[in-house]
Amino acid sequence: MTIKIITVMLIGLGAGLAVGAGFVAILTVFGIIPRLMQITKTNSQIRSYEISIIIGVLFSSWYGLRDYTISSSQWLLIPIGLASGTFIGMLAAALTEVLNVLPILMKRVGFKEQVLILLMAILFGKVIGSLFHWIFFVHL
Amino acid sequence: MEVEAVYLRMRHRLLCSPGQTIRIKDLAQLVGPEDVIQEIGHMIVHKITVQDKTIVIVDLMEVLKTIRKKFPLLDIQTVGTPQTIIEVQYKRPKITGVYFVIVWILLFIGAALAIMNFHEDVSMQQVHQKIYYLVTGRRNDYPLLLQVPYSIGLGLGMVLFFNHIFKKRFNEEPSPLEVEMFNYQQDLDQYVIMNENKENEKKAHDD
Repeated sequence: MTIKIITVMLIGLGAGLAVGAGFVAILTVFGIIPRLMQITKTNSQIRSYEISIIIGVLFSSWYGLRDYTISSSQWLLIPIGLASGTFIGMLAAALTEVLNVLPILMKRVGFKEQVLILLMAILFGKVIGSLFHWIFFVHL
Repeated sequence: MEVEAVYLRMRHRLLCSPGQTIRIKDLAQLVGPEDVIQEIGHMIVHKITVQDKTIVIVDLMEVLKTIRKKFPLLDIQTVGTPQTIIEVQYKRPKITGVYFVIVWILLFIGAALAIMNFHEDVSMQQVHQKIYYLVTGRRNDYPLLLQVPYSIGLGLGMVLFFNHIFKKRFNEEPSPLEVEMFNYQQDLDQYVIMNENKENEKKAHDD
């Protein structure tokens, strides 16, 4: 019995280590945190940003795997939704950039001045695609 | 004739029109005695022809050869990059408006589809239902109160990341996209310098 428990704990710890390391690696590759620090000019706060990410991951993995509820007001969902959307939006933008899609597109098609308008196409596509998904697509 | 020094620095990139004659003063910055510079500056290195297509590389050696024909004793000190990229700009046909609309629609639909696929892929609906339950204690299969702000946040995140959209920027620093485009252009230049410059490659058995 003890051996079983220890084995399960070891497996859990190992899986957690791998996933956690992978998560941090992804964040590093996309460079979202440096980007946010650059915009807000808060490079000195890097430690507290790290702690914020660790707490966020621990909190969500604990409560996400359990069936708890805090039975609070539903309006709390609006800031949560906005924040999670912003994070995913930055992730998507970073992904587009890592893949070098836009520079190649600009060069191929030759619209150097209209980069902003094309970026807006992607942006509105994301927002409207997402709204369409939640409002209509999930009912199909 | 007294030996004088002339300092020469090749420009990195030069835009010109088809049929233009390229003189040394277009290709390089010169410092030295005024009369010598005047004369060197007007020497012709190259004439753009149709065979040149869009990119011509002028090597520093070519420029030096031209100068030495006239001033064999001149001491030429070179600074900076050893070649100039000449980009020939042809008039673009006027159908770009249609292309632009097509590309716009392509990107719009592509982005919309990509985000929907992503949501399905990571079971975003279930995650949102779970968050709804976690916060309110009630079950809701369609937690729009969470999902509409989420969708707006998506756009907000992209604006934040690319720093400027709608002409307003958050600060003076270049956005990642501008840096990325600069890097891409540098890579292209490097490739062109190595591959379009005939002086760089010489097959030994040709001689």
